[in-house]
Amino acid sequence: MMKSTLKKLGLAVASIALMATTGAQAEEVKSPFEGKGMKIAHVRYLSQGDFPELYLSGVRAQAEALGLELDVYDARQDAAIQRSQLEQAIMKGYDGIILQHGFTDSLKDLADMAVQNGIKVVAFDVNADNPEIPQINQDDHLIARMSLEQAIKDNGNAWKAAYVYVPGIPPLDRRDEVFTELKEKFPGIEEVARFGTLNNPIPNQIADQAAAVFRANPDITVAFSPYDEFAKGIKIAVDEAGLSSSVKIYSADISNSDIQAMREPGSAWVATTATNPAIMGQVSVRALAYLMNGENPGSQVTVPPVLITQEMLNALDIKNMNDLVAKVASFSTSDTLTPDWMPLP
Amino acid sequence: MTNFRDHAIKYGLLVLLATMIVFFSIAQPAFLSMINVFIILQSVSIVAILALGVTATLAVNGFDLSIGSTAAFSMMMASYVMIVFDGGTTAAILTALGVGVLVGLVNGFMTVQMRVPDLLATLGMMFLLLGLQLIPTQGRSIAAGMSLSGGETAPGKFTEAFLFLGRARLFDIIPVPVVIMLVLAVITYLFLERTRHGRVMYAIGSNERAAHLAGARVKFYRYVAYVMSGVYASIGGILLAARIGRGDVSSGNSLLMDGVAAALIGFAVLGAARPNAQGSAIGALLVGVLLNGLTMMNTPYYTQDFIKGLVLVAALMFTFGLSKKRG
Repeated sequence: MMKSTLKKLGLAVASIALMATTGAQAEEVKSPFEGKGMKIAHVRYLSQGDFPELYLSGVRAQAEALGLELDVYDARQDAAIQRSQLEQAIMKGYDGIILQHGFTDSLKDLADMAVQNGIKVVAFDVNADNPEIPQINQDDHLIARMSLEQAIKDNGNAWKAAYVYVPGIPPLDRRDEVFTELKEKFPGIEEVARFGTLNNPIPNQIADQAAAVFRANPDITVAFSPYDEFAKGIKIAVDEAGLSSSVKIYSADISNSDIQAMREPGSAWVATTATNPAIMGQVSVRALAYLMNGENPGSQVTVPPVLITQEMLNALDIKNMNDLVAKVASFSTSDTLTPDWMPLP
Repeated sequence: MTNFRDHAIKYGLLVLLATMIVFFSIAQPAFLSMINVFIILQSVSIVAILALGVTATLAVNGFDLSIGSTAAFSMMMASYVMIVFDGGTTAAILTALGVGVLVGLVNGFMTVQMRVPDLLATLGMMFLLLGLQLIPTQGRSIAAGMSLSGGETAPGKFTEAFLFLGRARLFDIIPVPVVIMLVLAVITYLFLERTRHGRVMYAIGSNERAAHLAGARVKFYRYVAYVMSGVYASIGGILLAARIGRGDVSSGNSLLMDGVAAALIGFAVLGAARPNAQGSAIGALLVGVLLNGLTMMNTPYYTQDFIKGLVLVAALMFTFGLSKKRG
């Protein structure tokens, strides 16, 4: 405590001195990039929906705190457009580039080219397959573990589960590893049904499958659906079958509509584990700032998630994502990549 | 005054293109760099190829709305052959081109034999292909190492030779798709403007009955136009697959509108007031320059869509409003 106060004092003195000599802005922490006119580009594959919007807000806030000028390139879910935009960004000459989603196959050679041209690159949730490009991810293992631990806390360690899973999707595969381990550790946990699809509209398709599953296995008490679109589908099926009181849904991710669904009276959806997309945006910019400052953030940067329960949403009267950010501190800030020199938003 | 109007009709669009280039190069000096010029050309090459195909159908007074989904379907089929069957470059390309020919023939059959209006026939084909492209993979994108429905992993990969088509640069600067686009533009120009076949197609387009009475093989040329359109679209699909290195279900969504817009803007180039190959290529270039410049100035995408629409509307007014050939 004493130490940090002293440090702050020292900083304050330093910044007053700076103000006196250069007239620079006084800040608690001074960005190493302040006044250098450095520019970064955010080339994003996903442009529509809650996630990219929140993610971008985090990127903006952290870039502003660091005094970095930010340009956003919107590929609108089109891999070919993302490719040309990355090409354009390399040519225009930025100091750093943040890739958001996309595909290894369509980005790798250009990302390599950017690195060769001295541009610092970080990638969020896409593997650029280059040791010099740190990859920022949410911690999918921890997400699954926290939801499942809550399920054990609520239901003990012997129950029959319905499991929604589609193989081949990297975050779902990572979440599946945790569930597989858990079933080995607790033989009382029995997966009686496994289903899933990514056909649109996902919740409807899942609801049809889940309806059949619940009819065939009326003794299911826990539904583990490590993706929120799946959970929406299960909830539809549970509601239609009138099973809300006997089945509990544990999921991953969170959005405005998820919060509403979890808070419906008697909702079976009792818990989810998620990382705030805005935090991931901030951490991505911080990882880039590490590189631009000549430091190494590590090849994998994971952002720890937060458990969100129905009980907590009701107790704090959280109606949407804004409320969640405002009322749950662990959801709105993260100490991932926060050295002393890093100004925070 | 008439003179001014003639000039406006003839050179209006080229002046607009030149103005945009000057404006963007002042606003963003990097705009006119050699690399960026080729980035622009690369970004328009696929759209331009599709526009050339539409031009052929427009010439016979048809309209191919299925080009975008034909390109997407060809992309998926080429990827499927390479990834799932491990079939290699040649087989992938031939399959994709086969798709183009087949789609063209079916479109021709629907419009010529079944007398379905062009717009409706090709709209139906568009929906059909949008669904069909997803059936082999149950709606998923195709990428190297994907897991198949049986649980095993797909054996193939995108070959270097195939990726070369979409990514390589000749002499380290000219992207291969640009070369292919230019070659196709020249071929289409020569075919439509300099051969008897091309003139017959325009004759069919301006008055089908008269052309028929004059002994033109109307049905045959309508088939030719649709097969051209299908094959060009499938070439676009091959280049798209090679560029992004995967069979991506969401790519190709914007191709139809951009291709048609380019062909329609092409009407106004040099006061042609009719579909023409050089116009379609320039129309695609105009849209490409506009989008590249606006992206460089970091305008949001919705403004870009708006401005793209504005240019199209302006070009159509040049063509139909100012033209004396108004009918």
